[in-house]
Amino acid sequence: MSPSHGPGSGPPTIRALQAALTAENTAVYGYGVAGAHLTGARRAAAVRYWVAHENARDTLTAMLTAQGGQPVAAAAAYALPFGVRSAPAAVSLAAVLEDRVAAVYLGLVALSEPSLRAFGAAGVRTAALRAAAWRGSTLAFPGFEVTPPSSPKTAARASRS
Amino acid sequence: MVQEATRRRVLAAAAAALPVVIGGCKGLGALGTPPKPAADVAVTRDAITVESALIARYGAVLAALPSLAGELRPLLAQHHDHLARLRARLIIPRAAAQPSAPPSGTPSPRPAPVPGTPAGALADLRDAENAAAAALLAHLNAAPPSLAQLLASISASEATHALILGQGGHR
Repeated sequence: MSPSHGPGSGPPTIRALQAALTAENTAVYGYGVAGAHLTGARRAAAVRYWVAHENARDTLTAMLTAQGGQPVAAAAAYALPFGVRSAPAAVSLAAVLEDRVAAVYLGLVALSEPSLRAFGAAGVRTAALRAAAWRGSTLAFPGFEVTPPSSPKTAARASRS
Repeated sequence: MVQEATRRRVLAAAAAALPVVIGGCKGLGALGTPPKPAADVAVTRDAITVESALIARYGAVLAALPSLAGELRPLLAQHHDHLARLRARLIIPRAAAQPSAPPSGTPSPRPAPVPGTPAGALADLRDAENAAAAALLAHLNAAPPSLAQLLASISASEATHALILGQGGHR
């Protein structure tokens, strides 16, 4: 076993970065699911954001390694908040994924290191902008609000959590 | 002789007590205005000023161009949410609260002229949102963790407002 910090352990910085990495891994997976149900400009946006989340995942992995952490490995699949069988559900999923990414980056803003605060704030902003683009509307407190999905599968989500 | 000795003892005791008294005063002073909460308060007040100015700007635009109400009201409502959350962090005496609590929709004393066209007004608000988003982040490192998170969240919200305004309004 490596002496370095794995998921859910270690100092606050490592824990916050691991949480962000997990959310990015989930977003990469989720955009793959959502993108399959989208066409045209919305599919193009999904592909663009999918790549952006992959890049963010690589950045976080490098940051964790630099901090002496052991980056959490990506899982083969992630539990998504609801099933996606239509374009509207795919759009809802993308928005919820971004809400969750915003929330973990807000966790980085609570750290004392100024560069991590700025990095976290930029992450909240980017995710909030994508969520707003998907939704066509805004939240008052991105990162604090993870909106319930506007999907027929809401009951399944509630029973899961 | 005895009296003299007693007086000297009293003086000596008083002199010895003096640093304690001074130290005590310093201690009380530190309790009255601890440096960290003071920074917290200053940052919160600045953020309240930023939000109040934005709300006044929305009020001025709505007064001049009521046809934009459908697009602007949802965004304005979120600014009122921002302001309420920021104000909840301060205990403001009633009198001191007055200047920073203009009734919503009332233009500030000397407002910049509102652009005459809806497109111009939306662009004006978009710029104001972007400026506010940047102003809030400027305070990030002066704030304790929970306030830093609130500032980052409100700043991100304002960035999304600018996005929506750039698309021609809230849908």
